[in-house]
Amino acid sequence: MSATAAPAPRGRFSKRMRLRYYSAQNVPLLLSLGLLAALLILYYFLFIAREGRAPGNFELTTTVNNTLTTGLAAMGQAMVVLTGGIDLSVGGIIDMTNAFAAVHMGTSTGSMIGVSLLVLLLGTGAGLINGLLVAYGRLQPIVVTIATLTIYQGVAIEIMNTPGGQIPQAMTDMFSGTIPRLGYLPNSLVLLALLIVFWQILRRTPFVATLYAIGNDARAARANGAAVVRTRLAAFGLSGFFSGFAGLYFATVNTSGDPTSGDTFTLTSIAAVVLGGISLFGGRGSALGALVGAFILNLILIVLFFTAIDQEYTDLFQGLFLILAVVASVLVGRLLQRGR
Amino acid sequence: MTPGSGPGNDSPFASLAARVRRLSPTMRAVTLAYTADIVLFVIGGLHRSSFVQFSNITSLLLLSSFVGIAAAGQTFVILIGGIDLSIPWVLNSLAIMFTTRSLGLDGNVWWSVPLALAAGLGIGAVNALGIVLFDVPAVVMTLGMNGIMQGATLGLTSGFTCPQCNSYVPPSVQNAFTGTLFPSVPNGLLVWAVIIILVGLVLAFSTLGRRVYAVGNNVMAAYLAGVNTRGVTIIVYALSGMFAAITGIALAAFGSQATLAMGDPYLFASISAVVIGGASILGGRGMYWGTVAGAIFITVLPAVLLQYQPPNPDAVRKIADGVVILVALLLYGREARET
Repeated sequence: MSATAAPAPRGRFSKRMRLRYYSAQNVPLLLSLGLLAALLILYYFLFIAREGRAPGNFELTTTVNNTLTTGLAAMGQAMVVLTGGIDLSVGGIIDMTNAFAAVHMGTSTGSMIGVSLLVLLLGTGAGLINGLLVAYGRLQPIVVTIATLTIYQGVAIEIMNTPGGQIPQAMTDMFSGTIPRLGYLPNSLVLLALLIVFWQILRRTPFVATLYAIGNDARAARANGAAVVRTRLAAFGLSGFFSGFAGLYFATVNTSGDPTSGDTFTLTSIAAVVLGGISLFGGRGSALGALVGAFILNLILIVLFFTAIDQEYTDLFQGLFLILAVVASVLVGRLLQRGR
Repeated sequence: MTPGSGPGNDSPFASLAARVRRLSPTMRAVTLAYTADIVLFVIGGLHRSSFVQFSNITSLLLLSSFVGIAAAGQTFVILIGGIDLSIPWVLNSLAIMFTTRSLGLDGNVWWSVPLALAAGLGIGAVNALGIVLFDVPAVVMTLGMNGIMQGATLGLTSGFTCPQCNSYVPPSVQNAFTGTLFPSVPNGLLVWAVIIILVGLVLAFSTLGRRVYAVGNNVMAAYLAGVNTRGVTIIVYALSGMFAAITGIALAAFGSQATLAMGDPYLFASISAVVIGGASILGGRGMYWGTVAGAIFITVLPAVLLQYQPPNPDAVRKIADGVVILVALLLYGREARET
């Protein structure tokens, strides 16, 4: 949102006023961060109660590694949701890229770099196909991405019929290993930091300004000369890029591929976006919220399964939290409206 | 709603193109869908003549009926501008609920079938309540519900390892779908025929039907005209849940048992049947007759493709399904260009 606001002369507002404006604009994100903090505290004490020691670097590494696939997928989903659209093909792109990486990646450095780039290209291409159909074909994002979801799932099982393949150990070490010199902190934290920096740079570009403008009112954006069609295309392209990255990351963490295991990320990416305070009607929220949402979703599940709940119920809770998060955000919105 | 092609003064052959052009966009799409169905059967028959034997056609139509029944609910929902992504696991969970309650005994049918249907109505109504009371977008509400039903099913059956999980469908219910009252016409087709007539009549002639179209065309206008738009939404989603339950029972009867993930194909199939049948995904335009043609198309297409024995049938089927729905959308699902 700050990207769309005209730069106000700094002197005119006192520090307190600016803080108030900032928090008013970022209520959903701040709520998400609060929820995340509360969950972390809950997790910390539950862990001590159960294991008799504080969670260490091992727990940090597995948690960040397990969350980052959802986080990457949710980053991509956020780009499309900010325009008021939705991308249901995220799971299919992850299936496809995951399978591709597992089948084709060799152990040589050249192969690792080359195949990784191809995987990202494949994801971006798949996203651009969605974007072309939505932006230039003037079709509804929901049906287009349901159709391409099926197509990408089909391509995934064409690439690799059954789970298998092999990701070289070096790739796995790079993405999900730890840094001995920094007290065995997980490498994935570096990736997380890069994602945050990426968004901080991206959100200052005209592209993201247009993204928000489309989400708020596509017609007004067009009337004001915004490149609506191209920006929609780029939003889907970015979604595909991040889904491809998620597929690659998922393969490296698991050291192998699975042409169907990516399916769940359609639901979890949307849930993460909502839990991160991004409005599904578009135009409101920060892509960083998507990362926060991914951590919230994963932590809730970890905390739940501390309490002897069967793993089979995972989907139930993911679905439930998706709905509850939207309901909560709507209720918070209504409360804020009343306060005005 | 849709003026049919009334008898004109032109000669029947020369005026065919003109007649098609005079049809409303929906009627044109419905006509196209039925034409596509016939073309598919012709292609299949040219490849192997037994493909168009009466018994093969009826068995393909029986398979279409499962998509068609699930898509009846999806048609109602899409006509008001919504979407139901919860069909797969509502269908699956209720099929399992039905088999594990009835335990293969005819004596349990009289209450276990209504129980499953009522559960479908209830789940659909919960979808609608989330949508009308809390403004949850339909995509998210029903996607979440799908996850909830999937998790509940897997959890309550401990990953389908429970002792009753392998119960058979009671013989009378199996007979209601796979038995034959008339030679080589499975009873399931009669069930579908009844549903087609009922849904067609409700949409075309009942107050509820008028209101469904009104809400789909413009919620605000419908509300201002005195339509209880929330009530219509609840009824429509509840109906979708009930049709999912019927499909679940029918599928279980067809396979004589319920299985895990049996409903997964029906998310995509139900939506594509509606889209191929010419209904607008934005709501307000479409007919169940069209969905019926779409259901037949989406079922017969893989059967025709399989005749060519592709190396990876699942992949070919999925890709073809997706391409077909995109083609249908590009043919008649495009929005008007904004100036």
